Amino acid sequence: MRRIGVFVCHCGINIAQNVDVKALTEYASHLNGVIVAKEYKYMCSDVGATLIKDTIKEFKLDGVVIASCSPRMHEHTFRRVANDGGVNPYRVEISNIREQCSWAHSNKEQATEKAKYLVRSAVSKALSLEPLKPSTLKVIPEALVIGGGIAGIQTSLDLANDGFKVHLVERDPSIGGHMAQLDKTFPTLDCSSCILTPKMMEVANHENIELLSYAEIASIEGSIGNYTVKIRKKPRYVDVDKCTGCGDCATACRLKDRLVSEFNQGMGKRGAAYMPFPQAVPLKYVIDDKKCLFLTKGKCGDEPLCKKACAQNAITFDQKEEIIERKVGAIVVATGYDVMDPTLVYEYGYDQSPDVITTLELERLISSSGPTKGEILRPSDQQKPKSVTFILCVGSRDETQCTWCCRIGCMTALKQVYLLREKLGEDVEINVCYNDLRSFGKGYEEFYRKVRGLHSNMFRGRPSEVRPMTDHLKIDIFDTTTSKLFEIKTDMVVLVPAMMPRLDATEFARLLHLTLSGDGFFLEAHPKLRPVDTFVNGIFIAGCCQAPKDIQDTVSQASAAASRAATILSQDELEIDPLIAMVDEDICTGCGICVEVCPYEARTLNERKRIAEVNDALCAGCGGCIAACPSNASIHKNFTKKQLLNMVDDIM
Amino acid sequence: MNKKYALFPGCLMPTEQYAYELSIRETLPLLGVELVNVEGFSCCGEPMKSVNQLLTLYLSARNLAIAEKHHLDIFVPCAMCHLALTECQHVLEKNPAMKERINGMLAAEDLTYTEKRHIVHTVDLLYDEIGVQKIKEHVKKPLQGVKIAAHYGCHLLRPSEIGRPDDPENPQKIETILKALGAEPVNYPQKLDCCGAPLLANLPESALTKTGQKLQAIQEQGIQGLVDVCPWCHKMFDSRQAKAGETVAAKLEVPVIYLTQLLGVALGISSEKLGLELNLSPVEKLQLEAVK
Repeated sequence: MRRIGVFVCHCGINIAQNVDVKALTEYASHLNGVIVAKEYKYMCSDVGATLIKDTIKEFKLDGVVIASCSPRMHEHTFRRVANDGGVNPYRVEISNIREQCSWAHSNKEQATEKAKYLVRSAVSKALSLEPLKPSTLKVIPEALVIGGGIAGIQTSLDLANDGFKVHLVERDPSIGGHMAQLDKTFPTLDCSSCILTPKMMEVANHENIELLSYAEIASIEGSIGNYTVKIRKKPRYVDVDKCTGCGDCATACRLKDRLVSEFNQGMGKRGAAYMPFPQAVPLKYVIDDKKCLFLTKGKCGDEPLCKKACAQNAITFDQKEEIIERKVGAIVVATGYDVMDPTLVYEYGYDQSPDVITTLELERLISSSGPTKGEILRPSDQQKPKSVTFILCVGSRDETQCTWCCRIGCMTALKQVYLLREKLGEDVEINVCYNDLRSFGKGYEEFYRKVRGLHSNMFRGRPSEVRPMTDHLKIDIFDTTTSKLFEIKTDMVVLVPAMMPRLDATEFARLLHLTLSGDGFFLEAHPKLRPVDTFVNGIFIAGCCQAPKDIQDTVSQASAAASRAATILSQDELEIDPLIAMVDEDICTGCGICVEVCPYEARTLNERKRIAEVNDALCAGCGGCIAACPSNASIHKNFTKKQLLNMVDDIM
Repeated sequence: MNKKYALFPGCLMPTEQYAYELSIRETLPLLGVELVNVEGFSCCGEPMKSVNQLLTLYLSARNLAIAEKHHLDIFVPCAMCHLALTECQHVLEKNPAMKERINGMLAAEDLTYTEKRHIVHTVDLLYDEIGVQKIKEHVKKPLQGVKIAAHYGCHLLRPSEIGRPDDPENPQKIETILKALGAEPVNYPQKLDCCGAPLLANLPESALTKTGQKLQAIQEQGIQGLVDVCPWCHKMFDSRQAKAGETVAAKLEVPVIYLTQLLGVALGISSEKLGLELNLSPVEKLQLEAVK
């Protein structure tokens, strides 16, 4: 005979005002199998917990029903309490009489009746709950960080300094990401590369970090604590052990200064043998296999000049793509963002005039290591502009493009206004067309105030059009603060484009089983309480791959992700929740339907035994395979058909 | 197979913009379009929109219902009428209560709006229904050396949410048709500027200023001429060009021609049949008779 105790919570007045708690407790005490029923104002409090524990001991209970809020709130709490009292934690059943009863109804009498049914069915389930024991899994104390921008760099350094081995995978030839392209950072105006380069160097030299640049993730298998990652290393055609970074190959390349430099946002040129930027890490050259004459046409004059020029003999055209494997316990995704293609907003003339540029392109013009050595020159005629106009929210907060705010556009534009004023003096007219100026961060509003004192013209409104005239650009804007239509004549237009999810984010998410939010960025497990967790245990997200954010927030989030990953890596073993699927081997026919429906790749076919199996570490307990199984061989532990039907019988 | 449409003439075309109708009736049948004259069409309602929206809806719906009675799709050469009918259809499809109310009003004439009919304008009729390839095949006299700019007109492009014949920001269909005729379309920054017509009744001076400014910009850029597809726009740019010139204090001599007139020339139709002598702007400057 089972010995069940029922504990009814008032939740202050949340439950008590619509459910007659005393009557409910009285009713519960007479139910079959119930030895004792008690009520208390806050069951989740310390006093409530003690009440449960003492009652368990006093009445020698072997099962507990808590009638309270949703199991999402406190199931974990009450399992621990029951365990402390001496009851198997999986013999606790929660009856949700708050969200599904007292909050939903206003008639106390009827709500009390409903609560009785709910508690009765919970008791019937409690009677058949099996005691379960979590299994354990060995943790590999190494981490994989995907993406080498500031987020990935910060996460890698934090984890490496905690003593964990980190494998940092970067798609481009160098780490640094978007931050390396910036000249100065708002609102403090510290030089971006001055604060970033030391961190990049630290990554390169850290004994705990394996830097895998020019590499991509090919596949990921396994689960929390034990992932197997295959990494595709793209051929650089340069032997990194021999390359000293001297640059002789780039100087010799026949295509020198003839290809578009991605790092300079198309504002500068490079050759087929190139280093993305002078501070690149690793400081190794790379040969662009899509452009290199020898690699595309098989012929580069009489012989490839780079090979001839390289004193170290580091150029190796026979390098092949290589797949390497690493085993890790946790993964941090920090893949960053893409800038929206401004041609999507056709009316702003990005593809109609070379003098319409983006903030990132202006950043390269401002940078002293950029294509103009820091001189602000108009792209069409290489003259100093007399007037520059910023257009904010290009594609951002726009229902036809990106509905969200990019969170950095206003401050980026203000920073660039400041730098332009500094570089071009009072000669230049600066106009800013904004929607709302959002200067929300620490020190941002003060910076905005400072920029407002720099004689720039602020127009509040979205320009309707940028028209390229023969030697200038014309902008029509309706200023909503003065309700006037203005025509701005300007030399250069700087667009502040929206921040978008990476173009391959959907594909990448599928590789890792991550979830995307509606906007296409990676979805966090809880927007407030689990901001860097994902729905896949052991995989965390940091930086702009989660949502647009500035460097400050990115770095905070990167450290948070490192700390969350360290929580896993610092354990020798992990407990695995036993509320998952299992297979009745006597019934299973090995049809494989469960293998197809499982979104977590937790089901596999055992060809030898001709049955389907469950990988406990991968199973998320979603129940998909249980519904799909045609022979009822898939069983969800403690959610068996019999248990659920008993509940239904009792609630009818 | 012939495509059959009820020709919705609107008010402006039969009362003063004869050249548009002439050129439409000459050219489209050659391209396999059968134009049906339907009795009972009235004003589209658009001019009353700012005064009485229900009346506008009723008038548009009435015209749609007449076409429906004859089981015909509708060809609307006027961009403004095209907008009125399209918008009405949009409202009636989206708002069942309004549809019921309007149908109650239509019942007096034994009319009813039940189903969506296809409403086309000259531009999408030529570009999407007939197709550029077919037009190309029918060209007898390619318009070689004719460098000309296109004017779409606001009503033809906006509001894009209800579906308009071309892209609101970067329309290219007229240019593509011009290329098929052998002409060279010219891009210009003022392409999307308004002709001024909607202001004509209340603020004639402002209206003519808009007209004059656009023509002046075209003239200053050395563009040979302007092609339009709306009787209102044409009324401003062609019929009122001299007046617009006075308003902006400029001597304007910009040839302005309907797309269907140019099409007619390329198809080898004589200029009298296309009503070229009805154009008040100096179309002779385009030297179309020299085209072989």
